[in-house]
Amino acid sequence: MPTYSLNVNGQSRSVTVSSSGMPLLWVLRDVLNLTGTKYGCGITACGACTVMIDGEPKKTCDMDVSSAVGKRIVTIEGLSPDRSHPAQVAWIQHQVPQCGFCQSGVLMKVACAMKAGHHGSEIASEVDNLCVCGTYQRMKQAVATL
Amino acid sequence: MHDDMPKLDRRRFLAGAASGLTLSFALDLGGMGPAAEAAVATTAVNIWLTVGTDNSITLTVGASDMGQGSFQGLGQVLAEDLMVDPARVRLVQGAPTLAVPAPIGTAIVTAGSGVTRGNFWKLRDAAAIARETLVMAAMGRVGDGARSSFAVDDGVVTHLPSGQRLTYGALAADAARLTPPASAPLVPDGQFKSIGKPMGRQDIPPKVDGSAKYGLDVRLPGMVFAAVRHCPTVGGTLAATPAAPAGALAVVPLVVQAGHGRGAVVAGSTNAFAVVAPTTWDAMQGARRVSPQWQLPANAAAMNSAQFLADGQALATSATPYVAGGSNGPGTVYTVEASTSDARAALALPGTTVVDATYTLPYLPHACMEVLNCTVDYVPGVKCDVYAPTQVARSAMALVVQMTGLPADKVSIKTTLLGGGLGRKAELDFIAQAVQVGMRMARPVMLVWSREEDFTQDQYRPMAVVKASAGLDTNGLITAWTYRNVSPSILGQRGSTLGPRGDSQGYEASNELPYAMGPRLVEWVSHPAAIPVGFWRSVGASINTFAVESFVDELARAARQDPYQFRRSRLTDPRWLAVLDAAATMANWYSKPASGSARGIAVGRAFNTVVAAVVEVSGTSATSFTVRRVWIAVDAYLTVNPLNVEAQIVGGVVHGINAALYGQQTFSNGAAQRKNFNTNPMIRIGRMPQVSVKIMPPPAVLDRSVPIGGIGELGVPTLAPALANAVAALSGTRVRALPFFPGATGGG
Repeated sequence: MPTYSLNVNGQSRSVTVSSSGMPLLWVLRDVLNLTGTKYGCGITACGACTVMIDGEPKKTCDMDVSSAVGKRIVTIEGLSPDRSHPAQVAWIQHQVPQCGFCQSGVLMKVACAMKAGHHGSEIASEVDNLCVCGTYQRMKQAVATL
Repeated sequence: MHDDMPKLDRRRFLAGAASGLTLSFALDLGGMGPAAEAAVATTAVNIWLTVGTDNSITLTVGASDMGQGSFQGLGQVLAEDLMVDPARVRLVQGAPTLAVPAPIGTAIVTAGSGVTRGNFWKLRDAAAIARETLVMAAMGRVGDGARSSFAVDDGVVTHLPSGQRLTYGALAADAARLTPPASAPLVPDGQFKSIGKPMGRQDIPPKVDGSAKYGLDVRLPGMVFAAVRHCPTVGGTLAATPAAPAGALAVVPLVVQAGHGRGAVVAGSTNAFAVVAPTTWDAMQGARRVSPQWQLPANAAAMNSAQFLADGQALATSATPYVAGGSNGPGTVYTVEASTSDARAALALPGTTVVDATYTLPYLPHACMEVLNCTVDYVPGVKCDVYAPTQVARSAMALVVQMTGLPADKVSIKTTLLGGGLGRKAELDFIAQAVQVGMRMARPVMLVWSREEDFTQDQYRPMAVVKASAGLDTNGLITAWTYRNVSPSILGQRGSTLGPRGDSQGYEASNELPYAMGPRLVEWVSHPAAIPVGFWRSVGASINTFAVESFVDELARAARQDPYQFRRSRLTDPRWLAVLDAAATMANWYSKPASGSARGIAVGRAFNTVVAAVVEVSGTSATSFTVRRVWIAVDAYLTVNPLNVEAQIVGGVVHGINAALYGQQTFSNGAAQRKNFNTNPMIRIGRMPQVSVKIMPPPAVLDRSVPIGGIGELGVPTLAPALANAVAALSGTRVRALPFFPGATGGG
């Protein structure tokens, strides 16, 4: 049972898992109980498991936990303490979510694009997440303000 | 004020509540046909309104939240006649009970686009009665019994002669001791502050910071996880329980519960097992590692998509007529609607141009973003707590009581948020499995379906073969119409005995069409395929509206008439006409589309709402085009929250696009072939067309005898035909078989 030290949302967290190949997604969800990051497909097709790793968007459903060691991991829970990240503000302002299940991954993708200095439709062109509710129109309206 | 103020049945105040005034009352939370309706008491009390001495207002809602926004809508309706700011109404998830009538906020069925429309007037009446009870308390407090001495505004009762102001909170304890009036006047039409106003949804802020809790997010002390693996072949069974793989806590065989067998999945058979482990990942890995022995059904080889299609095509021309009192097995043709004069004979009249077309639709998976899951905390003889993303909490409660043998007061169903429901979470199979694992483990356990299990063990929208024929005279008038839909029966698979018209879920939106079309014969045939089928957003309307409105378009082209005008001059229902006109006007129908672009139009009805859509595509052929624009007009009679209606309709359009372009499940040797989003693509943001929604205005005076329409499912039905009609206009190629791109893979 290997143990790793992870930097998650600015905190050092020690995790013990069954194997080094356990995807980061399940470490976040089932070991650290950070359930905001979602399981959608398990094959990096949908993007629901997207988090920010060293500023970059990563799909965590096929990312071995061992490869996340030494990197700065930011999940939706760490995006802001009070829903004040501009993307979160825009998402509420434009009433984007319906069921909401995919939106953590979408917001992390948007936050990474913003961190890279991108704006508006440039961000929209990078968001490839799947939303079965079909909230894309309001996503576009929301990112247009970012 | 309204003259008609019917008494609210079964309402009651719970007296003596130090915390304030509590009013419980009955609302309709939808129905899904005879089987579901028989299982629940529609008169059950299922809403609980509390006005607290702390000025809080809480509405406990028995419906489920799967993203459709009806909690917010109910809050706005309540706020109107309670005369408070809707932002003050706390919306709380209710729990079910089995009592009839149940005493407090209980969950029944969330389906049929039914929550808001089914409860609008009842909730208004209840809110008005609560308001007037609070005013009665103020009368007692002030010592003035004249109602005209009091005014109410945002939860404050003002005694006009003295200027004394009393909040609802200050009056709540007194009000709880009063007998409420049998009826109370509603806020007059035209003076609404909340109904019909665009408002933000209370459920949205927790959905942007990861704090919203779905079924998959339940975490309990000591909890373990169970991954399910079914026999991939429909109707197959587990020959022997496999040994637990390394790292697993247990392997639990799973038995199909009585009443939950569907198609070839037989009640009482063991068709799956669960591997239990400390994390979801370990459980899923364990389930993959096991090499189970499956017992396959004898007819497995015959269960394949080509055979289903061939059977459907054969039954479209030759089926066995329904016999009252007969066995009426699969392959029976039922008469849904028949004119007194013979439609087939009218087709054969000399001078008639006959147009024939056959449309085919595939099995369609639900593919909710959140896979099926359920958490059970069972302590033998003590309790069974069930946490489920379910559309049918009350049916779930009955199931858990039956399975555990516990008295109902030891069983609780906690409805979580649903990461999409779409009809799939109205089924109980996954809950029954979780209870089995929970009872075996006797510790908290979450049962999870992998995405692959979710795709391959669905209860799909039925496949269908629809054969339509119509006659045209020399003026292009429709002189006869015959329509036969062959599809597996949703209600039949649930044990219903079908009446002479067949399965309402299968034929809905194919009959009573408001077109002048001469004698008509509408039939529905039960297809024998044993693949489990179920309720998929808009159910039969999504199948029949595609066939009907594609065929009407083909008739227009055969008659060499503009497809909008062709419909317009044959529609007999003013609502349909108005909605059709609204969509065409929005789309500027008569303007010439840009070079390489074309438009298609369709109109239809479901759940009392009429919808018309215009789709614009650009491209070069039926296999190379882009959906550019969608204009869609909606008449649901009235609107509670237009911001949410717009969201639901646009989302339904996307759902309709995904289904039309890519959606399907295919079978080979009884096993589903498409296992994840890579082989069942859906559009992403880059392919999102611009969608414009027009909500038809409500009448100046609301008539409570007029049925209110649903919204949640209404973006879907007209999209596929409007798209197919646009592609036909663009390319000259009529696509009659969905999906458009059966071989598509990847991101969509």
